Amino acid sequence: MKIAPDFLERTIADLPLGVVAVSGSNGKSTTTNMVSAILRAHGLRVFTNPSGGNLPQGIASAVLADASGAGRLAADVAVLEIDEAYGVQLSRLLKPRTVLLLNVQIDQLNRFFEPDRVAGMLAKIASTATGALVLNADDEHLVGLGAALPDGSSARVSYFATSPELLGAVSQGMLSAPRFGSAATATATTPDVVATALDGREAVIEVDGVPTTVRLPARGVHYAVDAAAAVAAARAALGERFSAATAALALAELETVYGRGETLSANGEDIEIIMMKNPASLQLNLDSLGTTPEQVFLAVDNGTPDPSWLYDIDLSRISHADVISGTKGYQLAVRLAYDGLPVGVVEPELRAAVRRFLALPRPAAGRKTMIVNYEQMMLIRKILGYTDLEGGQS
Amino acid sequence: MTGLTILHLYPHELGINGDRGNVTVLARRAGWRGVEANVVGHSPGSGDLPDADVVVVGSGPLSAMRSVHADLLQHASRLRDLVSGGAALLAVSGGMHLLGTEIELEDGSVLEGAGVLPVRTVLSAKRSVGDLVVETAAGTIVGYENHGSLVTLQGGAKPLGTVRSGFGNGGSGGGEGVRVGSAVGTHLGGPVLALNPALADELLTAALARRGGALGATADESLGRIDEWARLARETVAAHPSSY
Repeated sequence: MKIAPDFLERTIADLPLGVVAVSGSNGKSTTTNMVSAILRAHGLRVFTNPSGGNLPQGIASAVLADASGAGRLAADVAVLEIDEAYGVQLSRLLKPRTVLLLNVQIDQLNRFFEPDRVAGMLAKIASTATGALVLNADDEHLVGLGAALPDGSSARVSYFATSPELLGAVSQGMLSAPRFGSAATATATTPDVVATALDGREAVIEVDGVPTTVRLPARGVHYAVDAAAAVAAARAALGERFSAATAALALAELETVYGRGETLSANGEDIEIIMMKNPASLQLNLDSLGTTPEQVFLAVDNGTPDPSWLYDIDLSRISHADVISGTKGYQLAVRLAYDGLPVGVVEPELRAAVRRFLALPRPAAGRKTMIVNYEQMMLIRKILGYTDLEGGQS
Repeated sequence: MTGLTILHLYPHELGINGDRGNVTVLARRAGWRGVEANVVGHSPGSGDLPDADVVVVGSGPLSAMRSVHADLLQHASRLRDLVSGGAALLAVSGGMHLLGTEIELEDGSVLEGAGVLPVRTVLSAKRSVGDLVVETAAGTIVGYENHGSLVTLQGGAKPLGTVRSGFGNGGSGGGEGVRVGSAVGTHLGGPVLALNPALADELLTAALARRGGALGATADESLGRIDEWARLARETVAAHPSSY
């Protein structure tokens, strides 16, 4: 890995349209996937890191796998999902032409300690943008980051946003971490790309006030916001070449990113997977549920070392849990019980718990619901016979 | 039906990690015993503190602590009176530090505390993060700590308990938290009362005693089931505590 930084730097520097770097607490994989698709639809050859492979090793090995013997990538542009913490070092190396920052939310406090620290990391990533910095106008920590660009930088700052009507449709807004103390230094900014409406999987994205209807890979306001972010970043990267109609065509083709809002199948029944990576992802995924799920399975293990934040979640979209599992299962049961939600059984052993859940009679709507953290999702996929791993390996 | 008042200080600012769960737990457990809990939130600028039987304050980043600091000092003497007059108190991490005598920041400057709890805090870049298992006179309590602070107790004050696994006040085991009568400070983050119902009931008992009442039994089965899950949750963590 010692040679990786220099190798990465050289290979990436050769790309005619440079790097689009995507970071933030939530939505990195989905948005990276969307930006890549939009750029491809505009005729560009895109190099991207597989979803979740957002640490330096993941990016280096993706480049190694794709580069020719001469160390060249057959691509016009790289769209890279970048981990917040590693992004500071990585973005200095990659000198991204376009930086897209999605949000600062409460996330993995055992690793990040507090959102203020993540905001500081994203500010450093922002400062490395050479061509364009694209920010979320609704995020208190991000609106001020235009000022993070070094003096003399020619990078253009632009914003994407979510309309108040759309924000009002979710129980606790987009759950950006509140910013305390000094007010955001951003002057009033006019976002050029705005998510304005959502109906099922159809969202309306306005570009400079002109509406375009796009189809999202899954339900939920957060997917509409991700789409607005992706459109804004693609537009910043493409300039004059950008076409909203082409972007809409590209988005319509997208599948969900591995494990995020996807539907698995077992014994001829659909199993809807709801990820609970952090408070914002769980809340927005719950808010996007069309109807109260008939059968609910919950599982969290030590991949979520401290599930305390569950007490900040509005659980009113679920009515009960049939089976609860994982090493944090008893903590989940306590949480639900304090909300007065009936709990069927706690079975800490995952395989046995999944078996019990699958043995429940077929729900009338034909769909079972699993609310799980990332690590339990991986194990459950395996138990159900899905052998592909995240990152496209099998 | 008897009632009691829970005063929740700075729920928005000091609520980084499910801290409101402690209020939920107190209110629910009171309700199951036929005691109606009235929860009153207090935010910066929202006027005088009401009378309260139990005061709860959670944790937040330093920026959030600073944002409530001036308001807290304004109400410090009232808070001291409430607690010395028998109101129960639960102060978690940053909330405990603010209610102490002072906080020394990383740059050496000092933030004056509310003087409700006999603790002095020094903030440090080194974080204490992981499962925290503490032995107390009333049994083992379990939770998660995530703070960058070293706390010393003043005037011979006693800790809440002794660290069995984790960092605690001094960053390397020994005492954890502080207890003065029914006033408790701890680094057990977020909803410590959810996993440790005995501590919740102790605070409720003290709060009700202030009104001349007692915490009765309940016919509600939810309580027994929930407390058994909490026991198993504590057992699971205590069997394999992890830190970072």
